[in-house]
Amino acid sequence: MRSLHLKSMIVGAALAGCLAAGAIRAQEDVKVTHTSLKAGDMAPDFTLLDNQWKQIHLSDYRGKKNVVLAFYVLAFTEG
Amino acid sequence: MAKLEASDAVVFGISIDSPAANNAFAQKIGVTFPLLSDMNRKVLKQYGILKMYNVQKEEYDWAQRTTFVIDKKGVIQSVEEEASAINPNNAVAVCTKLPKK
Repeated sequence: MRSLHLKSMIVGAALAGCLAAGAIRAQEDVKVTHTSLKAGDMAPDFTLLDNQWKQIHLSDYRGKKNVVLAFYVLAFTEG
Repeated sequence: MAKLEASDAVVFGISIDSPAANNAFAQKIGVTFPLLSDMNRKVLKQYGILKMYNVQKEEYDWAQRTTFVIDKKGVIQSVEEEASAINPNNAVAVCTKLPKK
């Protein structure tokens, strides 16, 4: 009887462990995509519209200017 | 900003907002550099910085706060994510150290 109790405790603990691991994994999925780009990599070129509807090509600055790209979350927020 | 200009750098802000929203935002906060619209999230994907935000139980993918410094050869010199990306000092420091030519 006692050993049965112990067994169910172990099973229970293992189950709880699995659930906890699952929960942690689910949390990691909440989904910060870290950039795979790092210092030394070539910056991917792009063409985007600026706030005056003018096209900006990153490649236009090659050989001319250093470029700081500041990605922000949304306009009109603290981000 | 003056330090960045002195170090021969241009600054672009990038988000998923429309040009119209960015223009209103630029006027409100008085930025002098262009704000770029990545409405189809193409560049966010290229740069690998889409992040899921949960707002009222719905998920939205917007930019992760990230600052890249790119030199004149098109080579990334520094990458800062999240909190450290808010403070421009490091980006300024990196630019200042880059060769002028």
